[in-house]
Amino acid sequence: MQNKVYTLITGSSEGLGKAFAIECAKRNMNLILVALPGPELYALAALLKANYPVEIICIGKDLCRDESCTELYAEVTALNLQVNMLINNAGIGSTMLFKDGSPVFYEKQIRLNVLVTTMITRMFLPLLQRHACSYILNVGSLASFFYLPKKQVYGATKSFVYSFSKSLREELRNSNVQVSVLCPGGINTNPAITLMNKTGNCISRLSVMNPEEVASIALNGLLHGREVIIPGRLNNFFMLLDKLLPVFIKKILTGITMKTIDSNRLNRYLVPAVTTAPVAVPHYSPN
Amino acid sequence: MKVLVTGATGYVGHNLALTLAQNGNDVHVLVRNPRSAFIPQHPLIKVFAGDITKMETILPAIINCEVVYHTAALVQFCSIKPINFYDINVEGTRNMLNAALHSGVNKFVFTSTAGVLGPSLNKEMSEDDPRIIGFNNDYDLSKFLAEKLVKEYAELGLHTVIATSTKVFGPGIETHQLSVNSVIRRFIAGQVSFCPSPFGFISNYVFIDDLVNGHLLAAAKGRKGEKYIIGGENFSYKDFFEKLRTVSGQKGIIVPMSKTVAGIYGSWHFIQHRLMGKDPFINSKAVTQIYCNKAFTPAKAIGELGYIITPFTTALQKTIHSLKIEMYAKQSLYPDYRVQ
Repeated sequence: MQNKVYTLITGSSEGLGKAFAIECAKRNMNLILVALPGPELYALAALLKANYPVEIICIGKDLCRDESCTELYAEVTALNLQVNMLINNAGIGSTMLFKDGSPVFYEKQIRLNVLVTTMITRMFLPLLQRHACSYILNVGSLASFFYLPKKQVYGATKSFVYSFSKSLREELRNSNVQVSVLCPGGINTNPAITLMNKTGNCISRLSVMNPEEVASIALNGLLHGREVIIPGRLNNFFMLLDKLLPVFIKKILTGITMKTIDSNRLNRYLVPAVTTAPVAVPHYSPN
Repeated sequence: MKVLVTGATGYVGHNLALTLAQNGNDVHVLVRNPRSAFIPQHPLIKVFAGDITKMETILPAIINCEVVYHTAALVQFCSIKPINFYDINVEGTRNMLNAALHSGVNKFVFTSTAGVLGPSLNKEMSEDDPRIIGFNNDYDLSKFLAEKLVKEYAELGLHTVIATSTKVFGPGIETHQLSVNSVIRRFIAGQVSFCPSPFGFISNYVFIDDLVNGHLLAAAKGRKGEKYIIGGENFSYKDFFEKLRTVSGQKGIIVPMSKTVAGIYGSWHFIQHRLMGKDPFINSKAVTQIYCNKAFTPAKAIGELGYIITPFTTALQKTIHSLKIEMYAKQSLYPDYRVQ
């Protein structure tokens, strides 16, 4: 049996997962990075290896496939790796009207956010229980507390993660496994979302956080045994308001917040290059 | 050879246009204000009034040009209208690329910033390393989106090359207030210098002449769709001020400034300017960006382009010399002149 212990992070090539990987590497933790196979994953692993004295194992895997969780578990056990921390970060977010999403998309979203989180936790629990002190961090969302339009399925999947984590925590109360759930607000996970957040309304601009801030707060919270981790002062304030304000005011507020997310205006900056010639080329004769 | 330089009234574009003209090229410069005091003066430089956000004004300037150096951008730490960053830096670049693709330009060199690569960890970063933090300001994000476009146009057939600049210093026109030049100027004028504390954060400093030369090399030898860091040596803030002391022969007064204090200063500046209806040039987030490592390696440019770094001491001597001349000139013209 290897002496080294590893932290397994799913969805670790971009956004919050990547920030978790960097934050863990900074704390000299060995990592198993699970993400879609691609250059991003291997580039991140190479960068972390070059900068910190940590072991990094890359497992390129599309967790949306049926057999992927079983394969992942088989690969980790075949390598005889010891896991003492599991960060269930992989997930798909969305902000759109229910009718605008395809059934295939929702199936994928529910599969990844709900099923994969459950399966991986179940499979890796025996491995985690072998250690004197182990941790599970599930990534939920503030959307599991606020019933926002355009976040129906996403919010519901995160409510599952929230209930699942809190219940499992109670069940494992007297064991060596510590379960926490992270409920972040908006995060600048990738350039397109960052652009939307930056040019969005005042509330989203002020409350949005960068992934590295969230990862650091989340890891501290996890290691201190916090049950629910809500990063950011403003997000905590929203939670307080949620307890204090009457229902009808909350409904007005959430309506305003979601309405002002105008993605159309921003899409123009993300339009890929096209070959159309510039209009009205004047025939120019030098002097 | 006929070339087009955008942003010629800016620090990099100004020096680049002059060098190109001195090398015997016919240089077109596209400027918004043809009467600007910052327009480079040379017989081979031809001024075109226009704006990169207006396609029809680009076309007269770009016709028959073999190389385009697109250095124009909104370079600021923050703006009350963040959308400006995207309109100028992304859409403006899109216009330039589109015009270049359809007017038979051979090479398109895009000036970018190391801010797109972001802060570094323990080791210096290279072109292909992933970003380690999210984007925390509109300028860096707009340049990232512009770079993405530049790479896409390479796939459409335009020979584009990205020249990534690190912290630039050296003789030239002053365009913003938190530049390395302004730090050097304060130091040699005997004023108090504020240094981010702890002093150990590492940055990369590129000499303006090297950056200009890097642009020329990128146009001559850069591979299509590639990005090259045109950088210099990496130093901690402590080493930077040590070298500044040695070269200038002045002791200088250096006051450490913690991240918290800088953040408060940034907020104060931002609020003050907002209340007065002016565009603030920094805010709390922008100020705290100097509290991280930004070490880069120009190894790719050295290996592929034959890029050479001027030794830091030599570069600093030249910079101090030119800053002193500039200061004496201003002092003799305006006896009350004080370094701002």
